[in-house]
Amino acid sequence: MAVAVGRTYHAPASLDEAIALLAELGNDAGVVAGGTDLVVAARGGRRQLPTALVAIHRLSELATIEGSPFGGLALGALVTHADLERSDLVRRRWTALADAAALVGSPATRHVGTLGGNLCNASPAMESGAPLLVYDASVELRSASGTRGLPLADFLLGPARTALAPGELLTGVTVPPQPAGRVGSAYLRLDYRASMEIAVVGAAVLVALDADGRCTEARIALTAVAPTVVRAADAETALRGQLPTTERVAAAAARAAAAARPIDDVRATARYRTAMVPVIVRRAIEAALKRAEEEAA
Amino acid sequence: MSRVLGRRFVRADGLPKVTGQARYAADLVLPGMLHAAFLHAGVPRARIRRLDVSAARALPGVLAVLTQDDVPFVRFGAAVEDRTLFAHEVVRFEGEILAAVAALTPELADRACRLIEVELEALPPVLDPEAALAPGAPLVHEDWQDYSANDGIVRDGNDCGFVNIVKGDIEAGFAAADEIVEGRYVADMSHPVPIEPHAVLAQWEGDRVTVWSTTQTPFPARNGLTRTLELPESAVRVVVPHLGGGFGGKCEFHFEAHVAALARAARRPVRLVFDRRQEFTATDMARHGIIATFRTGVRRDGTIVAHEASLILDTGAYATHGPVITEIATMMAAGPYRHPNMLVEGRTVYSNRTPAGSTRAPSGPQVCWALEQHVDAIAERLGLDKLEFRLRNIVAEGDEGPTGQRFEKIGARESLLEAARLIGWGRPLPPGDGMGLAVGWWFSAPGPAGCYIKLNADGSATVVTGAQENGSGSVMGLALLAAEELGLAPERISLVYQDTDAGAFDSGSSGSQTTFNVGRAVLAASAQIRDRLLRMAADELEANPLDLELVEGVVRAKDAPGRSVVIAALARRAQDDGELITGQGNPPAPKMPDSLGGSCAGRVAFPAFAAPAFFAHAARVRVDRETGVVRVLEVAAGHEFGRVLNPIGVEGQVEGGIVHGLGIALSEGTVFRDGNQANPHLLDYKLQTAADVPAMKIAFVDAPAADGGPYGSKGVGEPPVVPTAAAVANAIAAATGVRVRHLPMTPVRVWAALAGEDA
Repeated sequence: MAVAVGRTYHAPASLDEAIALLAELGNDAGVVAGGTDLVVAARGGRRQLPTALVAIHRLSELATIEGSPFGGLALGALVTHADLERSDLVRRRWTALADAAALVGSPATRHVGTLGGNLCNASPAMESGAPLLVYDASVELRSASGTRGLPLADFLLGPARTALAPGELLTGVTVPPQPAGRVGSAYLRLDYRASMEIAVVGAAVLVALDADGRCTEARIALTAVAPTVVRAADAETALRGQLPTTERVAAAAARAAAAARPIDDVRATARYRTAMVPVIVRRAIEAALKRAEEEAA
Repeated sequence: MSRVLGRRFVRADGLPKVTGQARYAADLVLPGMLHAAFLHAGVPRARIRRLDVSAARALPGVLAVLTQDDVPFVRFGAAVEDRTLFAHEVVRFEGEILAAVAALTPELADRACRLIEVELEALPPVLDPEAALAPGAPLVHEDWQDYSANDGIVRDGNDCGFVNIVKGDIEAGFAAADEIVEGRYVADMSHPVPIEPHAVLAQWEGDRVTVWSTTQTPFPARNGLTRTLELPESAVRVVVPHLGGGFGGKCEFHFEAHVAALARAARRPVRLVFDRRQEFTATDMARHGIIATFRTGVRRDGTIVAHEASLILDTGAYATHGPVITEIATMMAAGPYRHPNMLVEGRTVYSNRTPAGSTRAPSGPQVCWALEQHVDAIAERLGLDKLEFRLRNIVAEGDEGPTGQRFEKIGARESLLEAARLIGWGRPLPPGDGMGLAVGWWFSAPGPAGCYIKLNADGSATVVTGAQENGSGSVMGLALLAAEELGLAPERISLVYQDTDAGAFDSGSSGSQTTFNVGRAVLAASAQIRDRLLRMAADELEANPLDLELVEGVVRAKDAPGRSVVIAALARRAQDDGELITGQGNPPAPKMPDSLGGSCAGRVAFPAFAAPAFFAHAARVRVDRETGVVRVLEVAAGHEFGRVLNPIGVEGQVEGGIVHGLGIALSEGTVFRDGNQANPHLLDYKLQTAADVPAMKIAFVDAPAADGGPYGSKGVGEPPVVPTAAAVANAIAAATGVRVRHLPMTPVRVWAALAGEDA
């Protein structure tokens, strides 16, 4: 089964060449970037390698981090977690994403693993998903028939399932400008040990404050407690338009559990995960608020 | 003890290992080499209805496929002969080997395994060791009465090793008690997890086979191979290249015979390299899961007057060292305390789990974790400080051990005081922090050992032993002993080791025995060379040999250092005159201490603890009460190893033991689902990482043992891993007010305990 009979490897030199290859290979094609999910799963016997491997590491045009003129952000699919972790722009303005990137796997994984790979692997425990959800990010999907954009929330369909069509390549992520006011964002993960962890529960939070300190916007997303990363709408509503007092923050965090549909697995019981959601969300809200408040100074 | 010993020497194999020059078994390649793969059962308990390898044999590129039908029917086992190389009629754990394949590539070997047709009739697995002891419970080994076992092992059905300690009058003890405290503690199985997985390469030349193996015990490995393939010992050479860690998981005999049999059938060299899943599921030296219950009677002044303990060790599908480990466990359940009246019972219970065996300090960390939490609970009941309660009961010189051995000068009390001092016991702590203490003891294992030393003509020397260097540095340290005795720089001593054709029999890197036993052999062999050099120098210097000393490469007069002769010159002259200067040492092993013997059942290997090491760890933790996540901030360790010979090596063992112990405490546990491991990989079997390592403070107590290793030293490799989990458990209880009675103390379990549940 895992024998390399009839398997092909392609390393296109340009995006156009890659798109043409994917069109030609159709369902047989599988894209590999860092290989930290694909190769590890194949080695571990959990998933076979695709019949035709299309390696996109030579497409340097996909390895860029750029701010847009109106305050948005454009990320290429080949941007690594280490790139995100180190980028001044990301660390300053898109802090939750920098937090998340710094938590992915090990230093080796962060230097090889890519943003595009992380999204296409569609693990509910992915780190980059929840921050991008609170930034209202969209993915850019290109194929021989053109380019389409899709909100990230619509792209992720379930564990290892995405809206990526045969022949399509996820080329990048676009993030709209942030809301007005003092904005702070944070990503927090419950870690059993101090490094090399995988999410059991994680939360990304973005808050915007007006001059009075009122929450004009609140966005909250959860990691590893549902089939995909998810927004916690009830919790957001509970915070939006409110002065974020300790009580209100705790109450909003408690409502985040409504968005969780956790499972029992080897990492934690569903009960524990459910109980941890309000804790981690509350701490993430507090971290985001602190950053928003620091914006004023 | 001045020139070499007690100074900080960096081991000779360190540089090649950290620079990538060292070669390990999986690195070795021979011309024409084939790749081995195993077909594992994949289910915990089943009857084999059909096993047809014909399609696998027919696959081009496959040169050998073997099952139990292709090898002699020989049962083997370290304590109970309860297993065969391949599954025979039944499957008793998921990693059981049904067949082995040798093929041109690893991929072809895997493919051949999948072509093997297997029909297994699944049977309900035996997974609850308490239920397995009930009358009429399904037997993991229906033919257990037909198996041979080592003398003294008491077996009954699923219990393959009953052990007890009976001391004093337990009922009278309880009658005299003011308080009786009970407790029950459960530990999950864990694993040794060496970074290097098992690997074996075998090559035949005529009727002789050379096996390069990742074994910690080359001679027991050879023994298993010769027994199962019915070969004379002279036909088998087992060589260990550098070993990438073992932690007990590579003790005894594993896959050497499978690979040798494949190589013989294929007429080609064959290499096997395990992947991480196999390393978890298909090896047989996991750390035992245990259930420990205690009942202890104390007087109001803190004196222990009665101590009752029951231990159940889940030894998995095969006994391996289980019965002996249960015996050790009963000693650990007594702890280093004075017990006038005691009843300890231990049972070694078969189940359909991966076999458990001799992981570093087998039974030590789990039993210490259970006992020392119980001891804290007693102190709490009496309202006594936990340090004070321990000091009132801890053993000292002249006291009697659990089986009646009489302690000589020991440092149990001093080690405890050192750990308490280093952690700052009793100082105020921030909210959420807690401190815990734990004490323990461990044996040195007396055994046979031999050493051969050649003095080279240039005044350098080569030490040849059968010892195995598992990474602890103990074999590297043998050079220091020879250097001290011969007056040579340690760099002038080379080592030949872990090759069964070169060195004398050695029980390997197990039981913290290398320095203890082989060290004495090195001293004996060195003494012969030293005597010869002294006599030659005495002639030359016209002096009495008793007035001479070997120092810094010369033999010189003690009172006139200027009167000297260079050792290299003596060696050269001897060779030129037709004499080779060699030494050989094989001193008898130290005697086991006197013990009760007859009044204890099932005592086979450790009727008492020879040259016991005593120690205490103290931990400071911070508990996140909302999540149950525990961070260990600080660990202090007080250790008495008799005498410390190379401080840098011993500190390394203690630091490594602490970190290993933190894993046992917090994150390392095997999760089983219906008898299959659910976390046989490093993502979900969580080792501690460098970022988790706390501040560590270490102190040594000097108490040379009369009947110990070289210079009164004791075994070092295992003791440091014993008390850390216990200290962390007691620190968690101090920080939170609740006891976590299930090991590992994962965040989910700590959180559940805080919520008043037993997770």
